[in-house]
Amino acid sequence: MRLSDIALWVFTIAFFVFMILPIAVVVVISFTEAGYAAFPIPGWSLKWFARIFEYEPFIDSLITSLWLGVVATVASCLLGIPAALYLSRARSGWATAITTFLLSPLSMPMIVIGFASLFFLSALGFGVSFLSLAIVHTVICLPYVIRTVSAVYRAVPPAYEEAAMILGASRLTTFREVTLPLIRPGIAAGSLFSFLTSFDNLPVSYFFGSAQTNTLPVVMLAYMEHQFDPSIAALSTLQLLLAVVALVVADRLYGIEKMTVAT
Amino acid sequence: MTPTVNLSPGARRALLLAPALIFLAVFFVMPLVDNSARSFIGEGGFTLSRYTDFLTDSFYLGVIAETVILSAAVTLISVLIAYPVAYVLVRKAGRFSGLMIFFLIAPLLTSIIMRTFGWQVLFARRGLVNQWLVTDLGLLDAPLRWLNTPGLAIAALVHVLVPFAVLSIASVLQGVDRRLEEGALMLGASRIRTFFEVTLPLTVDGIGTGAILVFMIANGSFVTLVLLGGGFQTLPLLIYQQFNTTRDFALASTMSTILLVIALACLWLQLRLLRRQGV
Repeated sequence: MRLSDIALWVFTIAFFVFMILPIAVVVVISFTEAGYAAFPIPGWSLKWFARIFEYEPFIDSLITSLWLGVVATVASCLLGIPAALYLSRARSGWATAITTFLLSPLSMPMIVIGFASLFFLSALGFGVSFLSLAIVHTVICLPYVIRTVSAVYRAVPPAYEEAAMILGASRLTTFREVTLPLIRPGIAAGSLFSFLTSFDNLPVSYFFGSAQTNTLPVVMLAYMEHQFDPSIAALSTLQLLLAVVALVVADRLYGIEKMTVAT
Repeated sequence: MTPTVNLSPGARRALLLAPALIFLAVFFVMPLVDNSARSFIGEGGFTLSRYTDFLTDSFYLGVIAETVILSAAVTLISVLIAYPVAYVLVRKAGRFSGLMIFFLIAPLLTSIIMRTFGWQVLFARRGLVNQWLVTDLGLLDAPLRWLNTPGLAIAALVHVLVPFAVLSIASVLQGVDRRLEEGALMLGASRIRTFFEVTLPLTVDGIGTGAILVFMIANGSFVTLVLLGGGFQTLPLLIYQQFNTTRDFALASTMSTILLVIALACLWLQLRLLRRQGV
């Protein structure tokens, strides 16, 4: 091995230590026996996981967050899949412009989307409600569905659908029997991404906080402002577990590299 | 009669695109326009006074400068760290590349709260880092104060954003034709010269895409700064404070409009770069 290669590897390993250490520390602390959050831990216990279920706001907000993730994802699929199907086959300049527009919520500062939507939706009479949250979350989840479904559909040769139609299948049958099965991995991966984005969102949900609409990240933030105990670590560990399982599933369905490359 | 639906291409297009377009027009564009409009409306109707006040006030000019400088610093550090890592990922990692990608993406899926919590634990006064430095390595006599320092806040932002830079640079590095580098080496260029005169120029677009992406996200982030401190006064942080405590919503609208303009400028730059790459 050349010296420069060794230097590169040392740097890379240091980089991954930097990336993983703050996360690993939280995972370890979630199993602590102590009543405070410090590392290293004096002994192992599961009591902080039990504490999650004793503290009502955690459970209430967890249920809100789960529902919100599901509703925003379903809405994003209903709105996003047809658009993605059309745009991946369109070649004109304005189709590119529309794609850019549909993906643009990803590029706008979340805090501005949240703040602006609160006032706008209140003026419309939706106020601070689950419906308002679901609408804003759909705005930020929609791009993920469109991006993943388009990426998968672009790779599908149009010949399959043409063959089905030449053989006499109607557009609807072709869609159901040919297109849908082919883009299913994209829908699944896009949905997972959308769900995780919604579930994890703090900057937008923050503006829609109330007893009925507090999401888990909002409650965790409020909790952290007053207490610094390991229950936040336990919750974070559960969340990470959920995300890693989703990531492994998405990788099986779709291939991990394709999800991240900016398109 | 079979109910065959024979829509014209135009109608089909409208039907497929309309739901998403209308939804975003109503619930994404209109709130942003409405929000900006609020900053232009005063007691006597249309006014530019909020902007003239804002842009002539040295405090607020400082805030804009600090927002941009902080994002630029985070971007620069992220790109400098990301390049060697992306290089190893594409050129050297071999069978470890899958593992590396996993460890790049896994942090992207952890909540901002979890990472912040981790930083607070590591860098607490009696935290792991101080313990290493003072007790284990004996490098310091007394524990350092890390929390609420600008350095730690920047490190935490880099931690959030650097994976985006690595992935952008890696995707461009992947497309570099190795024969060009081999050619340079065969013609007698040193490895270092080959890197700086062949590889690096060929990946400038990837660096640009990654940098804009990082800059854009850094510009809007505030949760890290709220929780880790650092004494920064940035636009997102001030919007958050206006909403929470001061409740001067017109001022918050003005600041969000300025932030939005910066974001739109970044988006425009990003599109130009992507078009050049032919994506």
